[in-house]
Amino acid sequence: MVGSVIAMPPVAWSHRLCKAIRACIRRSNGVFVVAFLILTFAAQAQAAGLPRVASINVCTDQLLMTLADPAQIVGLSPYARDAVRSWAAAEARTYRRLSGEAEDLLMLKPDVVVAGLYMKRATRQLLKRQGMRVAEFDIARSIDDVKEQIRRMGDLVGHPDRAETQVARLDAAIVRAKQAVARKPYRVLALSRRGWVSGDDSITSALLSITGLSNAAASLGSHSSGFATLEAIVADRPDFILISDGRDVADDEGSALLLHPALEKLYPPSRRLIIPEDLTVCGGPMLSDALDRLVAELKRVGG
Amino acid sequence: MLASLGIGPVKLSPVAVLDALFGGGSEVQRIIVQDIRLPRAILGLAIGAILGLSGAALQGLLRNPLASPSLFGAPQAAAFGAVLVIALGGIDVRSFALPVAAIVAAFASVFVLLAIAGRNASLLILILAGLAISSLAGAATSLTMNLSRNPFAALEIAFWLLGSLEDRSFRHVMLALPFIIAGAAILMSRRHAFRALSLGEESAQSLGVDVGRLRLWAILGVALGVGGAVAVAGAIGFIGLVAPHLMRPLIGYDPARLMVPSALAGAALLLAADIAVRLIPSTSDIKVGVLTALIGVPFFLYLIVRERRALGGGIA
Repeated sequence: MVGSVIAMPPVAWSHRLCKAIRACIRRSNGVFVVAFLILTFAAQAQAAGLPRVASINVCTDQLLMTLADPAQIVGLSPYARDAVRSWAAAEARTYRRLSGEAEDLLMLKPDVVVAGLYMKRATRQLLKRQGMRVAEFDIARSIDDVKEQIRRMGDLVGHPDRAETQVARLDAAIVRAKQAVARKPYRVLALSRRGWVSGDDSITSALLSITGLSNAAASLGSHSSGFATLEAIVADRPDFILISDGRDVADDEGSALLLHPALEKLYPPSRRLIIPEDLTVCGGPMLSDALDRLVAELKRVGG
Repeated sequence: MLASLGIGPVKLSPVAVLDALFGGGSEVQRIIVQDIRLPRAILGLAIGAILGLSGAALQGLLRNPLASPSLFGAPQAAAFGAVLVIALGGIDVRSFALPVAAIVAAFASVFVLLAIAGRNASLLILILAGLAISSLAGAATSLTMNLSRNPFAALEIAFWLLGSLEDRSFRHVMLALPFIIAGAAILMSRRHAFRALSLGEESAQSLGVDVGRLRLWAILGVALGVGGAVAVAGAIGFIGLVAPHLMRPLIGYDPARLMVPSALAGAALLLAADIAVRLIPSTSDIKVGVLTALIGVPFFLYLIVRERRALGGGIA
């Protein structure tokens, strides 16, 4: 008896409260729907129905920046801002910096995520399981690969015309480089930190052959990229070495190898072709700059 | 020493090596022998020697057969010092900032260890404290490299934690040798004090040895030597532990007489390890520290088994 007297009023009260809340939810729902529609329309107007794309690889970052509208770019990988390795580092600062992992992509919900074919495997699989569209780009190994990737990204962001412009720009640079071809088929070794050598199946090798040079990696006993020992390089003695940095500073032990006295004796600055890393790390629109640079370097060393 | 000059990826006959060493042969042969193999051999000798000497000195100082720089975390701490300087940026890895930072860190680590362990520390306390310091320094090295902007951090971490003599040049020799010589000189000048100390602390004091100052000198000598070595070759472990034990059965237990043979044994050990690294066929270079640890750790375990009674006493 006592219990029911106490229990009754709260039940009635809570019933009324529930009604009010439900009404509230119904009304606010409407507001949300309206707001959502307005926002969607705004976004669509902005990107003209084009997909919003996020990139988690430094090479796809640069393809994306070249070909997409700024409004289409949801975010870029952390390395996009690395001035040493990313050709478009300055421009990359104007976009959101993604963690490169799955969490922020799941929150941002881009229409497409572009990624490298070998890196971040776990992240890509997780995104796919969550129903996200992931477009994977292989490492470009030839000029044809590069053109194919530029066109693919152009189609993906809905700007195939821009892709054709970039391909034409690359073709023009190739024509220029072929006109300025080296006097002799010098043997050039593309050497990076710790003695990493770019093999025949690399973009660097493709650039060398366009300018009439041959890749010395083959005579070191390897057609694919790999590490070469200092002694083997000295014994093989290619005509030039192609490096990415002309400074006399070793930032770590790996790059100290390129300044080893044995290499400095055989390869003074006049025997070193220097093309900055940001022009050769990826296959993309920067390759026309890389070719122009290679021609200029050949001219500098008198080849 | 000759074997070290004779072995490498490019095959050269011993005659050609000798010829190139003294200015004959082709230019390529001269460069391979003089600029690539000779500095490597010199560093192997010097670093092995200073590690052996440091081990003998620490074992004398603490009257403890398990004492050695690597068990105390000194090389790991030195590597952390060097890596920290690199990560702060703008510094050439071939500048003197590197060995100086490594020496400071090595000094700090040995000082802290001896401060924690106290004067008559048991084996157990020393080893546990050393383990803690070396783990901490190793983790700090990895973290510093990961936080730096270098995308090749993983390979660089391997170099600093495991040590390597690959492709060192005379610039590296010039960087390390002054500090190694200074460290060795300090340790050698105290050898009679170590002998006095082997009679016990009180007897040593009655013989006029200031034990407190001796400790500081020993720490300084070890830090100079180990720091200089680590700054150019990374943390190469266990040479300092093994070398004195190899010589003790031959020389006897006099710490003063043990020091020079220990240095020689250390030099021979590291040189042998570095030659083996080059002989073992592998796709990428094997770090020499891997090999010294492979030899050193079983030896260490054997020592622990032998000292088990003393360790048991430490617990009780």
